[in-house]
Amino acid sequence: MSRSNPSPVERRTLFSWHSERLLPYWLLAPAVVVTVVIVFMPMAQAVFTSFYDLILFRPNASKFVGFGNYVKLFNDPVFWTALWNTIIWIGLTVPLQMGLGLVAALLLNREFPWRGLARALIIIPWALPSVVIALMWRWIYDPNTGVLNDILIYLSIVQSAVPWLADPKVAIYAIIATLTWQGFPFFAVMILAGLQGIPRSQYEAASIDGASTWRQFVHITLPGIAPVLATAGLLRVIWVANSMDVIFVMTGGGPGYATHTLPLYAFVKARQNLDFGYGTAIAVTFTILLGAFVVLYLSRTMREVER
Amino acid sequence: MKFLKTLALGAAFAVSAAFGQARAETVRFWYHFDNPANPMSDLVKKFETANPGIKVEAENVPWNSYYDNLYTALVGGNAPDAAMVKLFAQPRLAEMGALEPIGKQLDAWKGKADLLDNLLDLNKGPDGKQYYLPIQYVVLYLYYRTDLFQAAGLQPPKTCEDFRNAAIRLTNAPQTYGFGLRGGKGGWDQWGAFVLSQGAELKPGGLTRPEAIAANQWLVDLFQKDKVIPPSAPNDGFQEIVAAFKSGKTAMTIHHIGSSKDLVAALGDKVSAVPVPKCGNGQWTSYGDESLAIFSSSSVKDAAWKWISFLAEGQNNVAFNGATGQLTVTKSGSADWKLHERRFVEATVQSLPFARVLPQTSAVSEFVNTAWQTNMQQALTGQITPKQMMEQLQTLFAQ
Repeated sequence: MSRSNPSPVERRTLFSWHSERLLPYWLLAPAVVVTVVIVFMPMAQAVFTSFYDLILFRPNASKFVGFGNYVKLFNDPVFWTALWNTIIWIGLTVPLQMGLGLVAALLLNREFPWRGLARALIIIPWALPSVVIALMWRWIYDPNTGVLNDILIYLSIVQSAVPWLADPKVAIYAIIATLTWQGFPFFAVMILAGLQGIPRSQYEAASIDGASTWRQFVHITLPGIAPVLATAGLLRVIWVANSMDVIFVMTGGGPGYATHTLPLYAFVKARQNLDFGYGTAIAVTFTILLGAFVVLYLSRTMREVER
Repeated sequence: MKFLKTLALGAAFAVSAAFGQARAETVRFWYHFDNPANPMSDLVKKFETANPGIKVEAENVPWNSYYDNLYTALVGGNAPDAAMVKLFAQPRLAEMGALEPIGKQLDAWKGKADLLDNLLDLNKGPDGKQYYLPIQYVVLYLYYRTDLFQAAGLQPPKTCEDFRNAAIRLTNAPQTYGFGLRGGKGGWDQWGAFVLSQGAELKPGGLTRPEAIAANQWLVDLFQKDKVIPPSAPNDGFQEIVAAFKSGKTAMTIHHIGSSKDLVAALGDKVSAVPVPKCGNGQWTSYGDESLAIFSSSSVKDAAWKWISFLAEGQNNVAFNGATGQLTVTKSGSADWKLHERRFVEATVQSLPFARVLPQTSAVSEFVNTAWQTNMQQALTGQITPKQMMEQLQTLFAQ
């Protein structure tokens, strides 16, 4: 009886081997399973679909075309227009959001009455649903009834109403302005948290040494919030790149192809024209392009974790 | 023997009663109403009281993604049993094998004779079978501001030349413009009044005819050269053209009776309507249809038929249209129609003789959904010429 049972010491090592080696995996398992089922499986299926000529309302005419969709894609002028728009979209939106966020954070970090209220209010653009923001700005920009043109005409900045969203040269910048407004609170809050982590004593020491406000900003503040800027910036590149809801509601990608970005083009092809083969080929190509940023982000967070 | 018969009959009754109880059928129905105060729940209640064995789950699906959701649900095997559908979708739905023919049920239905003449013919499927049961209709016509026309000493335009002259006279940019063009999504039916009327057709070679290209050039010139259309036109959708017309920014626009209530509320007697102008030798306007269809994947087709035919009957149809602001498809309902001002009903009826639907081909769906809009916007903003626009659209209708 007593021989068949392991001694308390034996049992403890056996059990602790189980718990210490396997416990993390057990704890991770639910998240991994969910991610595999709802992220990786559809991703694999998207790659698979992109090798087919699959139009949803002709399910029986579906056939394997190998890299056919990709060849078509690289010869498609709309793809290149959309790629260029995507570069402008990310290249302007993220730095503008970051710049505005930095200014807002520096202001909010100062002492002034009602600071708590100001900090709470600044979150509002970030907290509103994208579709609400898009509809709101669509009316703000409206040349016939919108408030922006009214103000500009009243101040004699322009002579007649500017068709912000109907002019292909201006439309994408108008939407970028909207998205900048929507996204800067994210940076403001992240940077504010970073600012508060910088010890006061460093500023005191610098001012005793006679450093100007600008030099304090360059040599203490910026290095202090650099890790936050890098992580938040990378994260935001990925989010902004993928976000198409605001564009879709404001212009639907128009006029013409002037505000088509790659995710929007993929959506229009797959969901509106029901051309799933071609639509997923666009999405897969874009994922590969964005992959570089994802790798950068992952390697950064890995380093942070190991630190 | 008699006893046995009675017993068998009783048993049969009991079985059928039990069966009927167990099979309280549910009809899943999709529709789209813009009107937030929609009476669908009243109609459902009325139907369920009259048909105790059937439950109706009616779902209001947002219009902007209505067809995206419908096609996806059909392919994904989770389609409703019946839904509101438009003619332009019929070829795709038929190609998918998603539609259930309803010809037999229609013939046996007492409401058939009450349907307005010609509607069933207009709604016939590409293979000649009947899949659609009409539920409401509208016809596009020209809204104009009576006060502005009177002040300028103008008559409502009858021809394209009149129309252009009036638009030029009524334009005082940037305060007012002659015509509110819908250059964004869904504007193809306005475009049709000016271009499809002058010999353009959605078929091989039909868009690149010289007269079709000239007509398109004329329309784009209204925007680029005559400047009688607000500069916002390339991105303007329904909300924008209606808002501009209500605010007095534009003096004319093209839409249907569905917006008349809203316009009268804002403008009163200062708004009226006439048929769209005659351009060249032709006149074309869009017949805006809406029908109900049963899907072949449904397992409760009989119950679904009862529900959709209920909605197309006399007073039920009037109640239905009370919510959508469109016109009833029944003769009994039209006889004493009180939902709209007389002048808008008249403009609609006068437009019926030349009201058309687009040809029923799969390419037309792409034309309506995305292609027309992107090409029109490019032409209006000068990225391509009106001729290039027609050539690019022609590629959709190559075969």
